[in-house]
Amino acid sequence: MSQAWVLGHRALREGWRTPEALLPTLFIPLFFLVVNVGQAAKIFPSASTSFLHGQGYGAFQLPSSLLLAASFGTAALFLVEDIEGGYFDKLRAAPVSRTAIVLGRLIAEAVKAVVIATAIVVLGLVFGIEIASGPLGFVLLVVLTALWAVVFVGFMQIIALKTRSAAATNSAGLVFFPLLFLTPNFVPRDLLTRPMEIAATLNPVTYVMEALRSLILQDLVWEDVVPGFAVVVVLGAVMLALNVRVMRRYD
Amino acid sequence: MNDVTTVAVEAEGLVKQYGGRGGTVEAVRGVDLRVEAGEVFGFLGPNGAGKSTTVRMLTTLLSITAGTARVAGIDVAADPDAVRRRIGVALQEAGLDPRQTGRELLTLQGRLFGMSPRAAAARAAELLALVDLEEAGDRRIKGYSGGMKRRLDLASALVHEPDVLFLDEPTTGLDPASRLTVWDEVRRINAAGTTVFLTTQYLEEADQLCDRLAIIDDGRIVREGTPQRLKDELRERLDLDADPTLDDVFLDATGRTRGRVAGDVQEVSA
Repeated sequence: MSQAWVLGHRALREGWRTPEALLPTLFIPLFFLVVNVGQAAKIFPSASTSFLHGQGYGAFQLPSSLLLAASFGTAALFLVEDIEGGYFDKLRAAPVSRTAIVLGRLIAEAVKAVVIATAIVVLGLVFGIEIASGPLGFVLLVVLTALWAVVFVGFMQIIALKTRSAAATNSAGLVFFPLLFLTPNFVPRDLLTRPMEIAATLNPVTYVMEALRSLILQDLVWEDVVPGFAVVVVLGAVMLALNVRVMRRYD
Repeated sequence: MNDVTTVAVEAEGLVKQYGGRGGTVEAVRGVDLRVEAGEVFGFLGPNGAGKSTTVRMLTTLLSITAGTARVAGIDVAADPDAVRRRIGVALQEAGLDPRQTGRELLTLQGRLFGMSPRAAAARAAELLALVDLEEAGDRRIKGYSGGMKRRLDLASALVHEPDVLFLDEPTTGLDPASRLTVWDEVRRINAAGTTVFLTTQYLEEADQLCDRLAIIDDGRIVREGTPQRLKDELRERLDLDADPTLDDVFLDATGRTRGRVAGDVQEVSA
């Protein structure tokens, strides 16, 4: 485990020293938040829209921005740079466990996601969004977002290790957009058309989004929160196992 | 230095095949090698001959299709992690992280080899001094010249005092002064007791540095011996008046002429 921490520290330093790769993960989600609220807030006035639980539409949209911020997968692109530059082989030629090489980047991604999610939520608080589930809800919100970041970068790392191509890895990241839009992104699931409702129900991102939304709009409602955590735990375990498998077979 | 057997590197019938849409390509076709501990062993060959593929198998970076390899007395396929603890590796392109400083890179390498933070930092300082990068040690690697990167790469391969050091074309792309500096480093490392396995395309480099060498062509070893013995053998066989150069030995061994240049050889990359 100590090797994973050492490599995680190195990956964090790498991120810190490349602000041009990090800053868009903060500003683009905020941009979408502002645009989505600007376009739809008048349709859903807080006073007469029950699913807003007394808050503005920005509170309803905040989970989408958090998920977007956690789905850039920049760590996978840094991994491709390591592969192309030869540093990855340097690591593989050292007596480092293959799991530690994978975990190092995942740990760093989780830490970066905690920082960015905290920044976005704090900005939301400044602009009047409230976290109805209180301080514990705030922590759960940030942790769930960070765990989703680990899941998504785990997926992108598999693409990076298999293709060893920045272009292919970048393109694979775009898969998040259909996943994000096949969710109750603008309205709750029961207001979606039937085909969209079915698609959203089958989409695991829906449960993460609904858990995040529940933490923002309501007191702690565990039956909403638990499915979100279950999704990231199960998918996270799958991604970790696949990453280690691909690493061990890397030739 | 750890205790090593008298044989530092031993390969028998080493084969590497790559499967692809166009069929199977055999990059290495039954290589036998024996490198004694303490030697500087040169591994020569034209582009695409199988040099780097062989090195990557010996350094655990590439799976072995057939045959066996032992490095520092350890079976590469059976216990790759134990091999990694005993070898240092500096590959063709200096494998460095441009965002770290030289000191950070060496310290990290030490930590990955199990050193405490304090011991790793001390070792990093020692190595920076050794390769004359003390002043540049706290600068980011992306600002280093090619020669500085090569020296740092060498230093990173020495962090754990390996028994066997693999250098894959360590001077490719360097200016003559930097090349001489790397040669001095290789001599010094070897004098300290480390076996050096060196691939190169520069025959003068092999002549200057290597106790023995092997020439690989088309995935097979076509010559093996000391530089002098290979030259003597060619002079006697062709009944030459003057001593041939290692270039002549290389051209004779690989069948290269101006009509058959390296570009005719199928390139295989790992």
